[in-house]
Parts: sequence; structure tokens; C-alpha cells
Amino acid sequence: MVLDLETSGLNLNRDQVLSIGAVVIEDGAIDFGQQFERTLHRHDHKLAPSVLIHGLAPSAIAAGCDPAQALLDLMEFIGDSPLLAFHAGFDQRMLGRALKDSLGYKLQHPFMDVAELAPLLNPDVVLRDAGLDDWIAHFGLQVEERHNASADAQVTAEIALILFSQARRQLLDSPRQLEQRLQGWRRKRQQHHGL
Amino acid sequence: MSKMDAFDQAGKTAVMQNIQGTMQFLQRFPPFNQMENAHLAYLVEQCQLRFYAAGDSIIKPADGPVEHFFIVKQGRVVGERTHVVKGGTETTFEITRGECFPLAALLGERATRTEHIAGEDTFCLQLNKAAFIRLFALSDVFRDFSLRGVSSLLDQVNQQVQRRAVETLGNQYSLNTRLGELAMRHPVVCTPATSLREAVRMMDESQVGSIVIVDEQRFPVGIFTLRDLRQVVARAETDLDSAVSGHMTASPFYLPPQASAFDAAIAMTERHIAHVCLVEDRRLCGVVSERDLFSLQRVDLVHLARTIRSAPRLDNLVALRGEIGQLVERMLAHGASSTQITHIITLLNDHTVCRVIELAIEDKGDPGVPFSWLCFGSEGRREQTLHTDQDNGILFEAKDAVEAAAIRERLLPLAQRINQDLAQCGFSLCKGNIMAGNPELCLSRSEWARRFSAFIREATPENLLASSIYFDLRVVWGDGRGCEQLRHGILEQVADNRLFQRMMADNALRQKPPVGRFREFVLTRSGNDKAATLDLKVQGLTPFVDGARLLALAHGISANNTLERLRQLVEKEVIDPLDGGAFEEAYHFIQQTRMQQHQIQTRQNLPYSNRVDPDDLNDLDRRILRESLRQAQRLQSSLALRYQL
Repeated sequence: MVLDLETSGLNLNRDQVLSIGAVVIEDGAIDFGQQFERTLHRHDHKLAPSVLIHGLAPSAIAAGCDPAQALLDLMEFIGDSPLLAFHAGFDQRMLGRALKDSLGYKLQHPFMDVAELAPLLNPDVVLRDAGLDDWIAHFGLQVEERHNASADAQVTAEIALILFSQARRQLLDSPRQLEQRLQGWRRKRQQHHGL
Repeated sequence: MSKMDAFDQAGKTAVMQNIQGTMQFLQRFPPFNQMENAHLAYLVEQCQLRFYAAGDSIIKPADGPVEHFFIVKQGRVVGERTHVVKGGTETTFEITRGECFPLAALLGERATRTEHIAGEDTFCLQLNKAAFIRLFALSDVFRDFSLRGVSSLLDQVNQQVQRRAVETLGNQYSLNTRLGELAMRHPVVCTPATSLREAVRMMDESQVGSIVIVDEQRFPVGIFTLRDLRQVVARAETDLDSAVSGHMTASPFYLPPQASAFDAAIAMTERHIAHVCLVEDRRLCGVVSERDLFSLQRVDLVHLARTIRSAPRLDNLVALRGEIGQLVERMLAHGASSTQITHIITLLNDHTVCRVIELAIEDKGDPGVPFSWLCFGSEGRREQTLHTDQDNGILFEAKDAVEAAAIRERLLPLAQRINQDLAQCGFSLCKGNIMAGNPELCLSRSEWARRFSAFIREATPENLLASSIYFDLRVVWGDGRGCEQLRHGILEQVADNRLFQRMMADNALRQKPPVGRFREFVLTRSGNDKAATLDLKVQGLTPFVDGARLLALAHGISANNTLERLRQLVEKEVIDPLDGGAFEEAYHFIQQTRMQQHQIQTRQNLPYSNRVDPDDLNDLDRRILRESLRQAQRLQSSLALRYQL
């Protein structure tokens, strides 16, 4: 599952999730039939959890849908799939906080960061602190639109497909092998930065 | 699955941005740009996006029947075929952004014949077969595209060509113009009782060359023209006060106003008339004259036909050949189609042949035996270009072998003389000696019938080749009934003989259309040519001609002309209407390209050749030629399937 969040800002403690896009990678392909896309309604920041108990979604129609309902839908959509995102740490913490605030739910899904996988699998590419746009340009991807959660999730998923293909060629066939390699890469990078 | 449930409940309510984005991408390419939004949305929703690194195999023959339809979203897919003889592989095609594959294999429910490999890092949209079939049923546009493959692309290119042609020609008239639009003026009419003097006065007043004599319901009963007036004046004793009905040409030829200028031109040429009445609901609504038709482009077709038919000597006929060439040039310049031009060349050639025969008989004396002059091959199919050989024979009736031999003795000298005279008129002598002056081609009806039966019974390579020439027979001069009986016999025997059909099919597959390999065309060098070329006739037209002949003979169709055969095959539901249309267009285009080549060669004083270097064509023509040759390939593979070759 590839996830992208649009938030009101980059402050992990204060800013809020405004929209969510998620794209499914299944059997090595992006499945257009399974897409998740929600804009969250945020006129009331102190949304009471009791709304869920009543099962009544207040004014979910006009500007977006009720964040709690949206997050519930999202979690149902995700199931127990591992999550991929670009700069996954940010998405993980924003989503984690939103889930905790809205639903009192603790996010425990494993996350994998495309921003880490890309340099790991492309050691020859010299891109310092490369952002999503840099990798889009590097792989020559054609993007119809950027900076909405769905389109960003989509292009992140496309990058992920390329990376998985590269991983297979480097004989990293399972997510676990990939994770191990990633840990080694992180250690090396920390040492490098430490020097 | 919970994911799917969630999607069903909530997902479809939103207008998914990624679905929209992909739809917008597809809408830049045919056929998606013409599909209904709902159908396109369905397509995208059912798709998966897959990545293939350069060199990855996408589908290959060993995968078995194709299960998916692919659209290239980004990158490039190449086809690679393993060379059985030479070993190694060769690139046969390239598929780029917005293009689809593998339609033929998917529709044929078979494996692909070519391995599809990512030529570079490539993303493909992949649609499963069930969704493809559903879409095929839902969307007419998609279905048309899938069935005709590239040919609907051909349609679009053709439309572009026509648009451009219209722009350059401005409002100039074309041979496809409706006659109703050409006949602007009200026709000048009178009753049968009108006096000759009055009728001529009316013609003079309106400055026209004809007056139509109509009954009370305004149906044309006769026409009186300047030509008739000339005769009246020549006969000094004519009473100018007598009724015009005594001097008119009764029952004049007429056409509906929807008929084309071409129809009128053909009628005038065939019938040696200069005026055609237009009749709708049994009422006269106009008259089109030779001058109306040709004043703009000065294509004096009718005049030329008449001059040929009344040429007093062979020398005159020889001189007239040059005029036929000029006529063709002018017609091509005015955007006449290859079909119209081959039709006209055939007509003028028929007139020439008839006149040559008549002059030879006048000169050598009547042999005193009725005979029919047959023609075969392209002349038989009415598909002649200026670049033409003689393929002819003689058919006569005889009660037994002895009588046949005696008649043959009498006809042969005349036949040989006619062959020589035709050669002088520009019909080259046939290298294979398929000419009436050859005793083996001057036969009685039962001798011909025996010969044709042998072709069908013993399908040797020679006999198959012969049947591909002789079975397109037609009478140019003389009684046509004997020939029809022969044709009837051929059709009956071929219909019953599946083995012969299969051998003919095999023969029809021999000339492979030169496409589908690296760099689009497969070219060969011939003789000392500097550039590699392809043969428009042998490699382009022959597959259609052979295919149409086989299917026509096998299904009791007596037409000879390739396009006519295709049309009747569609009517008989042997060929799908869309396929028939695509084949017709492709045949048309190749023939047109060939004739344009001939014209250029004439202008440059080069010998006629059917070989063309695709690099000499402009981009668009090259592309259409490639697609046209692909249609020839499709016709061949349908034959291969039908006869399990």
C-alpha cells in the first residue's frame, strides 16, 4: 500500500492531515480498481470521539468527509498491508497522531521509506537529500499532476515499482531482505555522517 | 476482501483523481479519444499499471493464450522473433506511448507469435481479458478499433488526406460530385408535338446544346441535341415545321441526381452520348452534358472514347495511346481515385482492343466464324494501369475436335495479326505467350472447359499459376454467353474441390507483404538499384487479388474485379464488413501509390516499374502504405486460418 498525506504544515505536533491518497500494489502492479482518496473535513478541530459511538457523521458532505470516518475507511482499506511512502517517517507520525486523536487507535503497521529505498538501490546516483521531484525526474516519469495526495501516492507507487524491479535484479526478493539491507545501509550512512 | 468492500462502498462515490489523470492521458490517443467517458472510466478502473525494466519480457509465445490487453503508458515495447533458420532474433516492430498490443492474439484467443520485450524502462496499463471482452461489448469505438487494428488509424489518416486535398483543390469539382449539384440550370423541355423550328429556337434562346422531350408527367421520352440538328440540316429535305418527335433520340439514358459525375462520365463513354438526363420520381429534374462534366478540367474522356471507336486506321489508334496517358495524368491531378482511373483505362483499352479487332477483320477479311475475344489477368479483372501486357485468347463454338481444329486454322492468322497490332498500340506482347495467336489459347468452348477442369483437378504449381491468370476471364469483343458458361463451370468445380481451394490459399500466401520488420518495411535490392525498394504490385496488390479471387471462386461469386469481389464477399457474409472496408481502402491506396509512381516515371522518361523506395514518399503516405500492407497481411492470416495452413 502506497500512502501520501497532504497536511496543513510540517509541524508533527500541531498540523493536521487534510487529505489522504492511497494506491495498492498487488502482484507487482498498481491496481487502478483499488484506490483510496479522501479530503478531510476540518472546520471543527475538536471533533468528539463520541460521534463515532453514535454512528452519526456530522456535516460530512460539504467540504470533505468526517475525518474519523475517513480514517476508519482508510484503515479498513489498508487492512494489514505494509505501508510505503516517500519520507515515510513523516506520514507515519502524522497518520499515527491523527488516528490516535480521532479514533484512539494506535498505528502499528510497518512503514517502508521510498526516499531510503531509492538511494539504496541506486548507489551510483548522486542526489543529495533528493526529494520526490528529483526521483521523478531521475526515472523520467511523466506525471499528470502533483501535490495532491492521490497523484503523489500514484507517482510514489510508480517509483516503488521501479525500485522493486531493481531489487529483484539485485536478488533482494522479499520485503524482509530489503529491510535487512536497508538497516545495513542506514548504519553505514550514520557512520559516514558521524565521521 | 475487506479492501474491496471498502472500495465498493466509498471508492466509487468519489471522482478518483488518479483515474481521471489516466483517462486524460489516454484521451490523447486513438481510439480512447473517441470513446465515451463512462467506457473509458471503466477501462481505467479495471487496469493495472505494471513496470518492465529494459529487456524484461512482457509476453511471449510460450505463455500460451494471451490473457491481457496492454497499453503502453510510457516507454517502448519491441517485438522480437527468433529466426528459425539463421538463429538469433530480429526486431519486428516497436510499440510506443498510447499504442496497444497484442490485439490479433487476444481476439484470436491464441498465444502471441512474437515475444514482446520492454525496449527501455516501460510502464504498461494492463487490462484482463474479461474486462477487455466487456469493453469490446460496451464500446462500438473500441470494438471497431480492435477488429480493424491499425486500420481505423488508416481511416483517420485518409480523412486528413481528403481534408488536405479539399483545401488545395478549393471548390474545384471532383468526379465524386453529385450530378444534381452539377446540373444547375433548369433543363429546356418541350412536348413531342413541338415543331422542330420551335425546339431549335428554344435551344438557341437558352444557349444550350440539348432539349428534352417530355410527356405530360414530365418523364423524358426523347432528347434532341446539336448533333441531331446537324443531321437534320445535312438532310436538306427536312421540314422544319414537322414535330420534333420525328427527329429526336427516343428513350434517352437517365440517372438519378444522386449519381456521381463519375457515373455520368462512364455512361457517356460506354454509350457514346454527350447528355445524361437526371430523373427523380419519374420526373425530369436536370440534364448534364459532357461539357458540364469536363469543362473545368478539360478531360475529354467521351471524345477520346469516340475517337478510338471510330479510328480509321491503326496509326490513329497508336497516336491516341499518348492521349490516354495524358488523360490519366489529368485525372490523377484532379484527385480521381485509382479505382476510377483503372476503370477508365480498362474502358478505353476495351475500346482500343475492339477497334483493333474490327480494323484487322476489315483488312484481312471476315473469317466467317463467330468468335469471342477473351482477356485474362488484370485486364480480365478491369484493373489495368497504363503499364500493361497482353493476356488474351479466343473462344469459339465447335461441335467436335475436328471442327475445332479447322476453325482454329482459320482464326489463328487473324489472331496473330491482332496481337501484333495491339503490341503497336502499346499493349506489350506477353512474355509467357498467353495470347490468342498461340494455338493453345485459341480454343473451342469444350476445349477451354477441359483445360480449366484439368487446372482444378490437378493442382500442380503450373496449373495453380495458370488458374490465377485464366480464371479472371472476360469477353472484350464478341458474344459473352460462351464465356459465362465457362465461368459457371469453374465456379461449380471450385466450390466442390476443397483441396484445390487449399492449394490456391497456399499459393495466395506466397507473396508476403513487406512489413512488420525492423524500420517498418522489408526492402530488397533489385538489379543495380541504388536504394532498396518494395514491389507495390507483387507484394502489395497481389495478396488482395489472390485472396479475393480464391474466396470469390469458393463462394460462387462470378465478379472478376477485386473490389467487387470483396464487396460481394461482404454481402455473402464471408468477410466481416469492417474487414472488407479496410481491405478495400488498403488495396485502393496501394494501387493509387503505384499509379502515381507510373506517372512520375513517365514524366522523367523512365521505364515503368512497380518498385518504390518508401523513403521517397512523404511521412503520411509512408505511414498509410505501411498500414495498407498490414491489411494485406491480415487478409493472408485470415486465409491461413480458414484453410488451416
